[in-house]
Amino acid sequence: MSVKKNGSKNGANGRGVARTGAPPLRETYRGKHLLVTGVTGFLGKVWLAMVLDHLPELGKATVIVRPKKGEDATARFQHIAERSPAFRPLREKLGAGAFRALVRDKIRVVEAKLVEPLCGFSEKEADALMRDVDAVVHFAGLTDFEPDPKMAIDANIHGAQHAADLAARTPDKRYVHVSTCFVAGRRSETIAEEITPGLAPNGVRFDPAEELRELEAGIASLDTKKARIDYAMGRADALGWPNIYTYSKALSEHLIETREDVTTTTFRPAIVECARSYPFEGWNEGINTSGPLVWLLSTTFQRFPARATNYFDVVPVDTVARSMVLVVAAALRDRAESIYHCGSSDLNPFTFRRAVDLCGIGIRRMYAKRGDDYEKNVLAKLDPACVEPEENPVFGHRRMRLVARATRNFLRGWKLSDNVSPKLYRKIDGEKLDEKLRSFSMDCRTADRKLGQVEEMLRVYMPFVNEIAYVFRTQHLVDATAELTEEDRELFGFDVADISWRDYWVKVQVPGLDKWALPLLRNEKVPDDPPLEGEPVTFQAEEPSAPLRAAV
Amino acid sequence: MAEGTNGRSAAFFRVEGTLLERGPLAAAGWLASNAQGVGERIARLGNVALAAPLSLVGELRTGATGTRVTWMGLRGMSEDRLVLLAEEYVEKYVTDEVLEVGAELLKKARKQGRRIVLVSDNIDLIVAPLAEQLEADDLICNRLEIRSEKATGRLEDPVIGGNVSGQWARAFAQENGIDLSDSWAYGASGADSLLLSAIGQPCAVNPDRQLRRLARDHEWPVVEK
Repeated sequence: MSVKKNGSKNGANGRGVARTGAPPLRETYRGKHLLVTGVTGFLGKVWLAMVLDHLPELGKATVIVRPKKGEDATARFQHIAERSPAFRPLREKLGAGAFRALVRDKIRVVEAKLVEPLCGFSEKEADALMRDVDAVVHFAGLTDFEPDPKMAIDANIHGAQHAADLAARTPDKRYVHVSTCFVAGRRSETIAEEITPGLAPNGVRFDPAEELRELEAGIASLDTKKARIDYAMGRADALGWPNIYTYSKALSEHLIETREDVTTTTFRPAIVECARSYPFEGWNEGINTSGPLVWLLSTTFQRFPARATNYFDVVPVDTVARSMVLVVAAALRDRAESIYHCGSSDLNPFTFRRAVDLCGIGIRRMYAKRGDDYEKNVLAKLDPACVEPEENPVFGHRRMRLVARATRNFLRGWKLSDNVSPKLYRKIDGEKLDEKLRSFSMDCRTADRKLGQVEEMLRVYMPFVNEIAYVFRTQHLVDATAELTEEDRELFGFDVADISWRDYWVKVQVPGLDKWALPLLRNEKVPDDPPLEGEPVTFQAEEPSAPLRAAV
Repeated sequence: MAEGTNGRSAAFFRVEGTLLERGPLAAAGWLASNAQGVGERIARLGNVALAAPLSLVGELRTGATGTRVTWMGLRGMSEDRLVLLAEEYVEKYVTDEVLEVGAELLKKARKQGRRIVLVSDNIDLIVAPLAEQLEADDLICNRLEIRSEKATGRLEDPVIGGNVSGQWARAFAQENGIDLSDSWAYGASGADSLLLSAIGQPCAVNPDRQLRRLARDHEWPVVEK
């Protein structure tokens, strides 16, 4: 069955959304049934919590979850709902009993694997599952910059195709696809909210289906992950994408855009970071884009190789979730644009110079609060700054690595006992000194390895912090916000222009990363939320609803 | 205007010496010493240090020149850094460091229904939080000129110098409907003498040698703690 496409088939700027004002979002969501993937991820969680919290008129959300670490899908979802800080405002507002009742009433957990055709369902199961679904919202994806291409293809391309296959079985064929602004590839320009299927960032025409076939065939014959990464990177580079993440997400967009059996609305967030206010100030989850950068700048690494005037297109997760509420609403009303960007570079640009300068102050405050003497008196006083990537400062990571490696190589075969007389050796307690030298040699090896990791990290980040200067247009979200009622605008309006980067970065982002992301880089755990009164202290799985397998 | 203020009588407080021990030189030095990078810090501190002799001795002490030179060392510092560092400075050296004697006088003046006017040659980033903390009605202070999100090293006009003239006080009074003969002024240094002379009820608070002599000569009350 062929359906009408969004935006791109209707003139330069999509359908030309009427500025007559839309009904309240509560009405749009009232009684609707959404099938959602990726609700266990950072953005998916915040979006779902926000919808349940502010739009209780939603009829139902069927969430596709895969089992993990000994938990089946239901137990995993319930664990997240009852312990993740994303749901904290809702849990605290309702209390344990009412929260549980809301989840039981509104959420249906379905165990499925997106990488399998029809997500592992039979035709009959899929038809039964999708017959009253109003839209499929696909958050799931792999956000690593350089993953094994096999995994990236499965998660970002096949997963999206399979979710779209499910959408094709719904009555209205609505499919909302979460992608990334960075599918723009290597293009230093203002990026419009549009896509031309089969046109690569470097202007080369390609057949997306053929590209995928060749990519899969190419990596199938390669035994090692490194070889597969090199191969995929080569193909990505040839078309103008800087890494496997953007390449796979872009291929996915191009493939979906050519489908005639679904109406696709693509949502492209930029770099999703700590919450401004929802679920609460500073919340973050996992090691995201800026976590490693802030960690790096909190060490003695102070010369950050980035183009100071380039934009660091960061958006707080709640701003992204609010925007996503608008986009899903527009899709439900069949008035969505084809593509929505959600970034800051258009309306409230934030340069790397500012980001690094503010990082310095944020880190200094972080150490003032919780640092040891070395961190308070030394690290806190070192202020990071941007340097041109071509520069090789005296205390830069490249030279320091050379020094560490040379010292290690020199000390490896060197012993004091071989180089001084036995008498002197005894006199200066040579054994102890030899032991110290051995220990120092090991430190040099560790430093060499760590600096190697830093070099590798900077290599992966380099296209985004140095080479490519983007501005992502966000007019479609501005237009969608203009249509909102005052109450909706307060809760869901695209609010990126209101962000004070100075306050956000120093008082929200750096403390947020310090609490929620940096411990993970130190191999420490971030604790779950404590249980509410009436909830068991130790989590015990309880089925909020029967999984689909039992239902169909 | 605070509730209960009659709008005719005011209490002018020279911040430096009556409410805070530390003056603009200390603030500028602290901000410079926290510039981005060690090299920059040394250069900026050197620049601020140039103002020290001007601020401590000689004719320039009382004029605006010393004040201008004090803040020149911050030229090129980002607005972000200045605002955030000033927050830290206020937390460290202002909020809990208000001189007891000044705070008491201010409390008394407010009780008497006087309009509270703080006068300072420090910058707004440092003294505005103090004015808010003390619930002052007016704050007369300096502002750093910011262009393209960076300090130019200049102060916006009019620059408040080490002294505040009686002419300024009369103009302020006329503009704000204040009866100077029924107003009080509190100062701590000889540089405040012009302001104190222009107000009906001057008062020296922990005065330096020069102001003490003047106060004795004019029979102004002296408060010390």
